[in-house]
Amino acid sequence: MLEVKELMVFFENALAVNGLNLTVNKGEIVGIIGSNSAGKTTLMNTLSGLIIDMQIKEKRRGGERISVYGKVLYKNEDITYLKPEERVKMGIVLSRERHPIFPESSVLENMKIAGYLRTRKEIKKTMQYVFELFPALIKLKKRKAGFLSGGEQQMLAIGMALIVQPELLLLDEPLLGLSPIMQKSVVDAIKALNKSSGITVILSEQFARPVLPMIDKGYVVENGMLSLSGTGEELMNNPEIKAAYFGV
Amino acid sequence: MFTGTIIYALINSVILTLIAIGFNLTFGISGVANFAYGAFYILSAYSTWIMMHSFHLPYFVSVMISIILTMALGALMYQLVLKRVRGQAISEVIATFGIGLAILELFRYLGFVGFEYNLPPFIDSSYMILGTYVDMQRILIVVLGVIIVVLLWLFTHNTSLGLAFRGIAQDERTALTFGIDSDKIATLAVALGAGFAAIAASIIIPLGSIFPSEGYDVLIKALAVCIIGGLGSTGGVIVASFLIGFAERFTDSYIGSHWTMIVSLAAILIVLVVKPSGLFGKQKELEERI
Repeated sequence: MLEVKELMVFFENALAVNGLNLTVNKGEIVGIIGSNSAGKTTLMNTLSGLIIDMQIKEKRRGGERISVYGKVLYKNEDITYLKPEERVKMGIVLSRERHPIFPESSVLENMKIAGYLRTRKEIKKTMQYVFELFPALIKLKKRKAGFLSGGEQQMLAIGMALIVQPELLLLDEPLLGLSPIMQKSVVDAIKALNKSSGITVILSEQFARPVLPMIDKGYVVENGMLSLSGTGEELMNNPEIKAAYFGV
Repeated sequence: MFTGTIIYALINSVILTLIAIGFNLTFGISGVANFAYGAFYILSAYSTWIMMHSFHLPYFVSVMISIILTMALGALMYQLVLKRVRGQAISEVIATFGIGLAILELFRYLGFVGFEYNLPPFIDSSYMILGTYVDMQRILIVVLGVIIVVLLWLFTHNTSLGLAFRGIAQDERTALTFGIDSDKIATLAVALGAGFAAIAASIIIPLGSIFPSEGYDVLIKALAVCIIGGLGSTGGVIVASFLIGFAERFTDSYIGSHWTMIVSLAAILIVLVVKPSGLFGKQKELEERI
């Protein structure tokens, strides 16, 4: 479904992603594991096209030079230089890191804004599904999203991405800043949405422990480079991973 | 005299709301402070006048064409100029103010000055309300002001385009992830703001004549209202319009008409000292604190 070939991303002369290769098949949950500044967010932005928007805007104002080399193939089509809205229309939807929500709008309005490309009817139907997935959101419908807790905001953020009806869902650090209980319910929801509606998921995360058991395939990224890859189980039993991420 | 002052203060407040709402809309959504706003206001009035007197088009057709023309000009200004300097506040202000200056001074240079440059009132009659004479145009201003605010509210809360406007206003990059094209929305925001300037001009100008210098006045009034209300907040615009509107009229009646201009400027100063983000600029206030 998605293939990344020799991807390199530069911010001026700094190399954020270096020669990355990934393959994601339909229906899989794929994890990108790495520490701070490993290049996870840059990779997610490159897959979703945000980097192209940043590139255009920086260029206009004569700011930082952002360069992207290599290839991103989605359903055998080259999307490396497509703008984010074109990729959203193709079914690639990113949920950015740190619970991206619209703080001054209510929970319902947030979902309506997210459904920009969908009809009213479709939004209503998917909203039902989101409320089934995250029952906690039901009684918060009318509340301003800025007043929700971090976990509730993360649920809303994932819900908003689902409203767009993605085929490939990109989640950038969905567990960041959540309590262990919240982490578990978010992990369960991701598993459920992958199983019930067959959405392919790529998620990036620092916390390997809650993520590794649920993923079909994982890539470990260090300094923008791929250092390890394998199935979730293989990675869990890898001594290096144990030492670096589990502290054993 | 007291009820009369209140009635005229109310009308004055609605006029201020009409003037400021477009400026506020553009700023709230695209972050562009459109300092050519006053020029758009005057430009649309002149274009209505020219269409009526040179092309002999009917009044309402001229008004409609002027509104559309002004919107197109706003969109063009975004695409050709603002796109390149977006996000750099000072460049935006200089660029838009320069464009505004050019438009206003062009009309002055071409000799469009004098009392013959005016627009007729929509309906020429007046009524007695609670012992005060009010002409029909001023009543229409209040009615249209209310209609426009309600329509704007419905637009931003119920249509997908309006909701996209609010999404971009709150977090541009997140809005991008839902397929909302930020350049398209910003173009529309500047165009719509210019359109509001044109609508305000078509309703308000019939009360007086068209003067290029009026453009600067309108800009200062729009700025005063937006700064006091909190930039980007529609509720703030309405409250601030009423504050300034009433303060101006009461100064006029009880202190002296030459003090009215000072009221709004003094109000800006006081608000900037006491509450720098404006009366309703809550979120920005939070950011300032952090």
